Amino acid sequence: MDAAPVELKFENKAVIPTDPRTKLFLTVTVSTIMITGGTGGFMNLIRPCLMACPIAFLLLSRRWTAAARFAVTYAVLFVLELTVLPLLTGIWNFILGAAVGIYTHMLPGFIMGYYLVSTTTVSEFVAAMERMHVPQKIVIPVSVVFRFFPTVKEEYAAIRDAMKMRGITTFRSPMKMLEYRVVPLMVSVAKIGEELSAAALTRGLGAPGKRTNICNIGFGPLDIFFFLMAIPCWYGFFI
Amino acid sequence: MIELRNINFRYVKGTEVGGLMDIDLTIPDGQVILLCGQSGCGKTTLTRLVNGLIPHYYEGELRGEVLVDGKNIRELPLYETAKYVGSVFQNPRTQFFTVDSTSELAFGCENQGLPEEEIIERVKATTRQFGMGNLMGKNIFSLSGGEKQKIACASVSVSDPSIIVMDEPSSNLDVSATKDLRRMLRIWKQQGKTVIIAEHRLYYLKELIDRVVYLKDGKIEKDYPAIEALQLSAAQQAEMGLRPFELNMFPVTARPAAGSGFIECENFHFAYPKQKDALTIDRLSLPQTGIIAVIGHNGAGKSTLARCLCGLEKHCKGIVKVDGKPYNRKQRLSLCYMVMQDVNHQLFTESTEEELLISMEQPAPDKAAAVLERLDLLPFRERHPMALSGGQKQRVAIAAALVSGRKILVFDEPTSGLDLQHMKEVADELAAIQEMGKTSLVITHDYELIVSCCTHVLHLEQGTVQEQYALDTEGLGRLKDFFIESR
Amino acid sequence: MEAKSNKLQAKDLINVGIFTAIYFVLFFAGMMLGYIPIFIPLLGLVCPILCGIPFMLYLTKVKKFGMVSLTGIVLGLLNLIMGSGVLVFIAGVIFGVLSDLVLRAGKYQSWKCTFIGNGIFSLWIMGYVSRMFLTRDVFFSSLVSSYGREYVDTLMSYTPGWMFPVLFMLTFIGGILGALLGKAVLKKHFEKAGIA
Repeated sequence: MDAAPVELKFENKAVIPTDPRTKLFLTVTVSTIMITGGTGGFMNLIRPCLMACPIAFLLLSRRWTAAARFAVTYAVLFVLELTVLPLLTGIWNFILGAAVGIYTHMLPGFIMGYYLVSTTTVSEFVAAMERMHVPQKIVIPVSVVFRFFPTVKEEYAAIRDAMKMRGITTFRSPMKMLEYRVVPLMVSVAKIGEELSAAALTRGLGAPGKRTNICNIGFGPLDIFFFLMAIPCWYGFFI
Repeated sequence: MIELRNINFRYVKGTEVGGLMDIDLTIPDGQVILLCGQSGCGKTTLTRLVNGLIPHYYEGELRGEVLVDGKNIRELPLYETAKYVGSVFQNPRTQFFTVDSTSELAFGCENQGLPEEEIIERVKATTRQFGMGNLMGKNIFSLSGGEKQKIACASVSVSDPSIIVMDEPSSNLDVSATKDLRRMLRIWKQQGKTVIIAEHRLYYLKELIDRVVYLKDGKIEKDYPAIEALQLSAAQQAEMGLRPFELNMFPVTARPAAGSGFIECENFHFAYPKQKDALTIDRLSLPQTGIIAVIGHNGAGKSTLARCLCGLEKHCKGIVKVDGKPYNRKQRLSLCYMVMQDVNHQLFTESTEEELLISMEQPAPDKAAAVLERLDLLPFRERHPMALSGGQKQRVAIAAALVSGRKILVFDEPTSGLDLQHMKEVADELAAIQEMGKTSLVITHDYELIVSCCTHVLHLEQGTVQEQYALDTEGLGRLKDFFIESR
Repeated sequence: MEAKSNKLQAKDLINVGIFTAIYFVLFFAGMMLGYIPIFIPLLGLVCPILCGIPFMLYLTKVKKFGMVSLTGIVLGLLNLIMGSGVLVFIAGVIFGVLSDLVLRAGKYQSWKCTFIGNGIFSLWIMGYVSRMFLTRDVFFSSLVSSYGREYVDTLMSYTPGWMFPVLFMLTFIGGILGALLGKAVLKKHFEKAGIA
């Protein structure tokens, strides 16, 4: 390994290099416990930690704006909960309470998911899944899904631009709005998909032998640290 | 050696042209062979036979045999063929599988299960050879079309197949990216690889090819040694429906000068988040009723200018004055109109006629019919726009702009991947639009299109106007400097 | 295809990925409605209608057993990563496979089986709400402290125990309606566009 004189450059996404499996595990931990975990007792200690965790990750990987945005959202929600919520009754209490509740529960998991996706390359995902002995039949579709999210985004942006220029924006039935958006999107994504499949096949995707992977993933001390940290959280979740 | 023996092929879906008839072709090792001919002549089909996509991916009726180094492609699964044949396709956006460039280069070898150390060595060697260290470790979605295509070529090179098949690889490339492509081809030629290129744009290939095969209606019409093909006269090439090997030879069509009015653009400034300014133009005068070619290298700000002009960028505060009347961003959404490169994005309805009617504030079927007539679309008024051919779709998009009374039309690469015939059709449409008193801006890398119809040239570099000139004799010289001498 | 094998090939697996991605995006767009809490029970109706469009197009490419099952599994995995809990994943696997069985019974040809198949497939969404019913007391008491008593009471009154089977039915109907819409769009657009 150390025979290589020049390191191969990969898309440098994460500043603190953690294994994708660790990030995956932490994402599942944060979101599962925040959304479906209980409250009270021990959990009152764990919840704030789990909420802080994704922000800390963002800060550590120098994503200042994202970290700031999410921190402000937290703060706003928190202030709302403390100041406005007790003043309201009836339906308003219901609506605001629900909104605040849902956001504070979902947000940490979302941020963690955002962190996971934005700091992990698709090949790292693939490498991680292969190490976990996930079969090819699942690895290939999952990698295509991640490959396609940005494509869907690009195509949708182009369609929205086209609609703006045509003035097809409002005053139409919801059915038409759905049709005008979804149909061109599906047509272009299906065409891109067909070309992508052809290209991938000519490069030997799906060969029966064992695939190799040049992505350098593996557990370090930091990964072990995070796993240890997660143990009390799951302990609190299950009791 | 590649042998095609008595090939007959027809796609299953009846709509698809490009079948092949009685093809017999032997390609010795190390030959660089150009397949040319009009759209639908079967050249793409021929490339698919060699890389195995036919019969293993595209369905159809195939008779005859394709042998690559003595192996029958029909009996070889695609992942086996992949070891001998590498492929580069037309659209840079759809042929990468991973999202970061380094993994993309390794992808083919990883699939073959080569040892990691060897793959790393190969990736490094290829990166050096192609001089593309700056592209490593990048998100491919953030790269330009030319850079994406470079990645595609390099990833083929890493797998080191002895045969490389290219299907219109330069379609979406600008002048300098085409130059890069030529450099890569030269490296492959030196390495002794067999290269099969199906292509419309021929000028960049003339020093590289050994042999030219001309297809017509699914048959091999001519099979020349390169020297002979290069001696075809301009008239002969035009008759065969081919673009020229020598750009200089392409006939220039004089266009009537534009009217005397000007469209004034002021204060066009725009920057993408976290990047340096993409566009800094304080003042720009565009000749009204002109056909203005917008040229410039990649990243020069051509598409940014187009988007700002059409009112698609919220943060651009520019003002456009037409006939003394100022239009702000929102008003420009209904003043200008962009015909997108992928025209599928802007067709929404189920019939050509309806496509026009939803663009009008007061639906007026007679007016729509008149425009359809003008653009030769009247026979297709009931047809589904998506079921039309590429050129017809483009015309539907243009028609929608015309019926809604737009004054300025912007075309984003309207001729990428088109053969001579279809390019000329686009040129005719542009001329027709000019006759209606509209102003057209055409973002293009297509020299042949510019000299066929444009009246003016707007040359952008680094977000500013480098030069702007009318396409008279002197202007033509400057245009040639950009496209020809700069090579 | 020359080789008419019943094993899934790379081409099929890529198709699974492509359509799962679109399905997920549309599902997520539908989910946004769910942020308005009263709509949560309606998600089961709305999302399958939206997702019927990509699903019906997808089924035109499905000729082998396993693709729809895989779609269920991958959807479940994506939701698991997003933190929707293990139940969604389990539901994804179960209803993916069940739907696949129904489709196979129709040889991936019959419209009737296709409609029912989409209905059954859509039931994976029930993974989202099943906690509300299966472990009802724990679930609601855990919500009180963070969502407020009003919300929990309202939600509880909207979702009495008998709602569970009703939601199943609703989602199933949503799936059928989605399939009908999908078929209409297929005939109206996709077939003419040459992608079906």
